[in-house]
Amino acid sequence: MTTTPVNGRGRVIAVLMMALGLLVAMAFGFGSAGNAHSVFTFAPVNISGDRPWHLGDLTVLTRWWNVVLGLLIIALGVETWVRRPKAALARFGGAAIFFLVALLFWASRSPGPSQVPFVNVTSVLTGSSAIAMVLIFGSLSGVLCERAGVVNIAIEGQFIGGAFFGSVIASTTNNFILAALGGAVFGALLGWLLAFLAIRYLADQVIIGVVLVTTMSSLTSYLNLQVLTPYPNLNIGNTVATLPIPLLDKIPLIGPVLFNETGFFYLAILLVAVVSFALFRTRWGLRVRAVGEHPKAAESVGINVARTRYRNVIMGGAVAGVGGVAFMATQGQFQPDYTSGLGYVALAALIFGRWTPSGAVVASVLFGLSAYLANGLQSYSVPISSEFIGMFPYLVTIAVVAGLIGRVRPPAADGIPYQRS
Amino acid sequence: MRVELRGITKRFGSFTANDAISLTVEPGQIHCLLGENGAGKSTLMNVVFGLLHADEGEILINGESVAFSNSGDAVRKGIGMVHQHFMLVPVFTVAENVVLGFEPTKSLGRLDAKAAADQIRTLSARFGLDVDPDAVVENLPVGLQQRVEIIKALSHDAELLILDEPTAVLTPQEIDALMDIMRSLAAAGKSILFITHKLKEVRAVADVITVIRQGRVVDTVSPSLSEGELATAMVGRSVSLTVEKEDVVVGAAVLELRNVTVRDDRGVAVVTNVSLDVREGQIMAIAGVQGNGQTELVEAIAGLRHVESGTITLGGRDITNASPRQILDAGLGHVPEDRQRDGLVLSLSVADNLVLNAAAKAPFAKGWNRRLAAVRDNATALVERFDVRTTGIDAEVGSLSGGNQQKVIVARELSRDITCFIAAQPTRGLDVGSIEYVHSQIVAERNSGRGVVIVSSELDEVLALGDQVAVMFAGTIVDVVSPDVGREAIGLLMAGGGQ
Repeated sequence: MTTTPVNGRGRVIAVLMMALGLLVAMAFGFGSAGNAHSVFTFAPVNISGDRPWHLGDLTVLTRWWNVVLGLLIIALGVETWVRRPKAALARFGGAAIFFLVALLFWASRSPGPSQVPFVNVTSVLTGSSAIAMVLIFGSLSGVLCERAGVVNIAIEGQFIGGAFFGSVIASTTNNFILAALGGAVFGALLGWLLAFLAIRYLADQVIIGVVLVTTMSSLTSYLNLQVLTPYPNLNIGNTVATLPIPLLDKIPLIGPVLFNETGFFYLAILLVAVVSFALFRTRWGLRVRAVGEHPKAAESVGINVARTRYRNVIMGGAVAGVGGVAFMATQGQFQPDYTSGLGYVALAALIFGRWTPSGAVVASVLFGLSAYLANGLQSYSVPISSEFIGMFPYLVTIAVVAGLIGRVRPPAADGIPYQRS
Repeated sequence: MRVELRGITKRFGSFTANDAISLTVEPGQIHCLLGENGAGKSTLMNVVFGLLHADEGEILINGESVAFSNSGDAVRKGIGMVHQHFMLVPVFTVAENVVLGFEPTKSLGRLDAKAAADQIRTLSARFGLDVDPDAVVENLPVGLQQRVEIIKALSHDAELLILDEPTAVLTPQEIDALMDIMRSLAAAGKSILFITHKLKEVRAVADVITVIRQGRVVDTVSPSLSEGELATAMVGRSVSLTVEKEDVVVGAAVLELRNVTVRDDRGVAVVTNVSLDVREGQIMAIAGVQGNGQTELVEAIAGLRHVESGTITLGGRDITNASPRQILDAGLGHVPEDRQRDGLVLSLSVADNLVLNAAAKAPFAKGWNRRLAAVRDNATALVERFDVRTTGIDAEVGSLSGGNQQKVIVARELSRDITCFIAAQPTRGLDVGSIEYVHSQIVAERNSGRGVVIVSSELDEVLALGDQVAVMFAGTIVDVVSPDVGREAIGLLMAGGGQ
């Protein structure tokens, strides 16, 4: 069969990238006053102790730097047009980073409307790394479930449930390891429920997932009102301390971002490595992927499809449950609908990352940055509503699913109940 | 390995799929199981392979009774099966597919990719089954994928190999290659159970033939019997294997395709620049191995798929990218390839299905109201005329057998005023009796001066029906030839040999 690639779709995203570049150059570049400067600082906040190395401030002319960034985005668009669809995802990711940098230059320019005449890059990255970490837990959960052929829409519910019970446990014991274990158990329980309904009763996995999210959201809101409000010492909102890694945490910029993190952050990174290795290098992974791609073939060589799916969905639930605790441990006190849709962003990261752990990390970092900026930009009095930036992950996911950015292919049996013949 | 089945009975509810079937496969023997679709062959093989449990009877391997609770047990006892629909993961490599479930590992459960590839090379060399262990399965042609299935079975030390309708998806050349492989495996002492309904293949390769009909063994015969005698044994009455066609004067072109290009769902151009004329009183048979663009071409003609470029003209009217309704009104009768998905609404009655494309028109409707009396009269007449076996015109069409479902579609399409009749895989999955009937109807259409297009991956059907044979390969029509050029020549074209 011939395999001529689609012409149209690769070009659509190329055109969109060029348009974005043009927007950056015109609005963020020429839209800034000619004498406006932007300042990026790198000094870590809230961290005392001596700093053997420093990074000086970066001061740039807003207009011209943004014009250059816009041109770079246009160049990436042109390259996508010419060389589609190879590595379109990577080029799109690059363009998105350039866009966010240009946005920050523009938002913080001075003279300008901003109250804060500089951007502290270190704190932007630290803040977004906390969200990215939660997204990594969520999308890893998705990888574990969907690679075995079960769609886990319930990540958001597992986040909320994990956060609730994590908060109660952390408040009563002040021990975040116990909180993480509790969240894992609760997430696993929800995973088991999803797997049970999906595998035993062949129910539609998307519907069960949505039902679980709605149930968890209502249940935790109710418990919050009835239990946590009257007994506030069950929801103190203590956050977990960071575990700086000696010496490495002194490196400017990446030290505070990567090596002065919580145990949850290191756990997330470790899990990515473990899941990636297990999925693509081991016998276990081969069997899981076979179950997600062609369960009948797996069954015909004696692999127990139902057991594999149960195991993976329960593991996935546990990972998402820990993700919920991790969110609580970095953001503080539990509130109703606390995770505000991060579980769905994680799902988007899973798709954007093409169902691979490493791809999920890249997507989580990008989406974590945009989610952080959606809130963070408010302090710069930017005339862009934060909801608009909050849409970014979903818009990107629509583009990915529509095949605008390269070809994505979910596991072939993803979401399809398996019946033994 | 000597495998003996004794009195295997398998029931599904009140239906007995296998009724006390006994047979013995000797070591080194190619044992053919011959029977029509629905005779119970696949059920029996699933029992032997541990996918189903027999209600009665036992399986003996080298004289020892065995019981399988799943296919893994059967594999461990030395039974390998090549399924009709391959049990291969398309995105895995050949090596990954072969070792799946029996993976060689290093520490930490790591896959030993080198050991896996070596295992395949050894087997390839030993049985002459050449294939690259690192190739990704979905990129391989079907014939090679089947070879991977065979290697997979052999890698589990299969002594009995079950081949379930292995030739359905192959070109004639690939079939020959498969036959050679079967012979060399048998020579190496492997036993082979070969399931098929194709008489030519049986005669070419079998040592012993067990014929089953309606779940029972009716005869054990030798391959020296003629095709006619085998067909009689299989169907239970004498059948005509040839189609009677009288000479008809060929008229003007009714369906004209000019440089038609069509893309599949993934956007790949699967039909490129196809031009074809179908004339009045002519059967144009489109031959080709499945997946060479025939499906998409027919969908494009019927208005179910967007035509990227080129034109389609029906009876002088341009129907390129017209709606299916407009195309049907222009005089196209269409029997879709997947009758249950595209041809019928399974949960509706026979009567409603018979007016599916005319329900809103006179005489079946007046204004907003359906005229149910007319619908019923129509159904009663068509059921009678086309010999549809049903409990009644109100029965759900999904409850009918495959052959009778196909008759409902054919009846619906032929009862309208059409100028061109197009049927994709018109006899797939039908029993011999129904095939005869459908064929006679197709020829009758042609004799009455309509243009007819049939698409079939069965070379016998193409040769029996076609006045002209258009061979498709990789999205193009390689050549349009007379069926008299012979199956060898057409087989070569189907494999792309004409390019």
